[in-house]
This record gives sequence, C-alpha cells and structure tokens, in this order.
Amino acid sequence: MVKPKAKVDEEQCLSCGGCVSVCPKDAISLKNLRAYVDKEKCISCEICVNTCPIGAINMEAVD
Amino acid sequence: MTYDVVVVGAGPAGSVTARFAQEKGAKVLMIDRRAEIGIPVLCGEGISQRIDKWGMLEGTNWIASTMDGAKIYAPDGTMVTLSKEMAGNETGYVVHRDLFDKELARQAGKAGVDIQLRTEALALLKDKNGKICGVKARTYDEEFEIPADIVVGADGVESRIGKWAGINTTLKPDDLETCIQYTLSNIDYHSDYAEFYLGKKIAPGGYVWIFPKEEGVFNIGIGILASLSKPGKPKQLLDAFIKSRPEFKNATCLRILAGAAPVAKPVETVKDNLVLVGDAARHVDSITGGGLTTALEGGKLAGDTISDCVKNQTFDKESLSVYETLWKQAFGQKLLRDYLVKDIMLGFDDKTLNMLADSLKDYKFDEFSTLSLVKALVLKHPTLLVKLKPLMRLSEKVK
Repeated sequence: MVKPKAKVDEEQCLSCGGCVSVCPKDAISLKNLRAYVDKEKCISCEICVNTCPIGAINMEAVD
Repeated sequence: MTYDVVVVGAGPAGSVTARFAQEKGAKVLMIDRRAEIGIPVLCGEGISQRIDKWGMLEGTNWIASTMDGAKIYAPDGTMVTLSKEMAGNETGYVVHRDLFDKELARQAGKAGVDIQLRTEALALLKDKNGKICGVKARTYDEEFEIPADIVVGADGVESRIGKWAGINTTLKPDDLETCIQYTLSNIDYHSDYAEFYLGKKIAPGGYVWIFPKEEGVFNIGIGILASLSKPGKPKQLLDAFIKSRPEFKNATCLRILAGAAPVAKPVETVKDNLVLVGDAARHVDSITGGGLTTALEGGKLAGDTISDCVKNQTFDKESLSVYETLWKQAFGQKLLRDYLVKDIMLGFDDKTLNMLADSLKDYKFDEFSTLSLVKALVLKHPTLLVKLKPLMRLSEKVK
C-alpha cells in the first residue's frame, strides 16, 4: 500500500511558489503558472499541504 | 550569440543584476518562464522611498501612491505610529509591481541585455569536470542549451538553481511566511499610512497589512508563519479580518494573489560559476517580509562583481565572493538582526505585544525603519530584549 501523495488543484493554484520552497525533496515545480508534484519524489510529509495559503494542495491516494 | 552570463528570472533582482553586469561590459542573457514580466504580481507592493537615491527606475508610472508612514496596531488596538513628521525623511511607496518590474527589465534591455520570455531553466549545464557552464532551457516545446561562464539564480522564493548547484535553499516552515492578498476597491475609508495589525488570533507569526493604493483602493493582505498554518488558513483569517471591519462591507475585489516570503537567514550566495540574488538568496527582511530594496541593492552589487569577473575571466567562487562580502557589508547584519528579532517576537503573547505597544504609543521615532523600532524597544525594555543588545551594537558599527 503506497502512502497518499500531494496533489495540487490546478484550478485553484495561484503560483506563489511557497510549496516549492518548503519541499524537502525538490518534488514540486511550477509550470505554466501552476505547481506540479512529482509523485515519484513525494515522501508524503504534507508540509506543502499545510503551507498553501489557499488550501489548494490535498493528499490523494495513489493506485 | 554567446553570452558571458545567463540570468534566470526577470524579477527586480534579476533585472538589476543583468543591467549592471551588462553596463560594465559583460554580455548578458536574461530568461524568464513567464509570458509577461511582472505578471502575476506576488507581493504586497510596499517599498521604502530609499530607492529614489539609487536612480534605478525612470518615470513614475510604477508608483501607485506615496505613504506618510506606518501605523502598527497591537491586538488590543493600541497604535504605534512612525510618521513622516516625526522621522523627517523618506517613508514609502505603494507600487504597481507589474509596472515596477517592467521598468527594471526595460532598463536592463536599454543597457543591452537580451531578454527571452517563455523560457524555463530545466537544469544546470556541467562540463566533464562538473563545472557549471550554463543552463539547459526550454522555450515552448524546444529544448536547448545556453552556455555561459556565470549563471545567476534570480528565480525567487521557489529557487531551484541554488539547489541544483548544491546549496541547501529548502526553507523550514518556520522560515516562510505564507500570504494572500486582495486588492479591494469601492472602500469608504481614507488612509495615507501603511497599517499593520498584530496578534496571535489575527495573524500567528505574521501580520495583516492594509496599504492605500489609490483613493478607495487598498491592498489588504495577510502573512502567517507556515509552521503555524493549516491548509487555507491565511485565506480564512484574512476573510475573517475583512468581515470584522465595517469599512470593507461594500468592497469590490479587483485582484486575488497568493505569496510566499522567505524569513530565513541568508544562504551561501556564490559557488564556482554561480551567483544567487534576491529572494533566491533569501535577501528578505524577517520582520517585515519585505525584499524589494535588498533585491535592488544586492542586484547592483552582484552585477558590478560579475562584470569585474568577466573582465578578468575569473569565475571561481573566490572571485565571485566579492559580491558576498559586499552584500554582507551593505545589509547582512540587518538581515541577521531582524531574523533574531523575528524569533524573539514569536515568543511574545498578545499581552506582551499590548504592553510593548502601550509603552511606544507616544514615542518619537528618529527614522522610518525597522531599526528605529527595534532601537526603541531595546531602550524601553532592556531586560525583555537582552538577547538583542550585542546585535544592536554590531549593526550600529556597520551602519
């Protein structure tokens, strides 16, 4: 069973870069003014989830 | 075309670095992944009028308003004022950050810098000995290499250039302010002051700000420490603050933006063939979360150093370290001092903040700065701020 991974709601993201700056695994990048999580690198620490000022990042189950 | 320098990020720090490096003889390319310089705005848009002295921006279209000072409100409403009348010198502007950034980029272009938008840095180029020799980039769907002797990371709070070069730029959650701001219009309220509201319930580890942008138009935002945040908490707290103020009842929102301000100790800013500037270098004041003046000041120092290195064809860490020495002389002590003040202030409960504000409410500040505020606090409460005293002496020396 794989732990849930961070997932950015692209509709909501305002591209502030906060999540990128706190990610301990360099798993998040900004592209076309949206943040994206690299699931392979994500360690499910949820730091980005708590950092997002508008609550646009959630933990999502991975198959 | 070959370049001596590639600057990644066309914000204020990148543009100023590029301009001064190019003006003194280096050939510079600046890239930015965005389609428009300055968009989206990710900033409260307040800046000290100290920048006037530096003459880096022409015209006035980037100035939205001039402020007369700051009013700081303790949790119980006690107000501390830093005003132009008391200080007798410059205070602050509210700027249009999109136009501000465009003017700085225009100045870089005027100096001869080539600027390429919609171009994203993907990785650092390294030669067979591991030496940095440019960046790999992508524009639209095309990937290509930009060889250069010096790479400048001006890629903001989310900087990855430093990480790729082996500098640990990852921020701890207690070294980041997570922010949201609305630009509200149709407000029946007049103020010529920047207003700051403190308190654990209002903004834990940060503050709410209200900046007067135009008549009836205000930037109202919040920054809280990420370590004290929960998903979406800044937005919930800002919405609650606005709801509690009758003057915002009929407001029309013109803009929503999110932001992230590093309130960390500065990192190592030079490596062989690499320089970090601006937010990427964590050149941000930890008390205010403001980084515009240090981005400009540091960018100029970086540009000057880089042009000397290009002239001498020396790109090693030692040669580039002149920049690090210069920014430490210019504002290094201030950044360190305010980082420690941030830590001390985090320990204050609302009662202490009320008491401190009460003791300063009639204080005549000698200048409009965080330094004069910290000085006053140390003067009034030597025991409370005993940890700061040696630092104050240090910063007096370098001032």
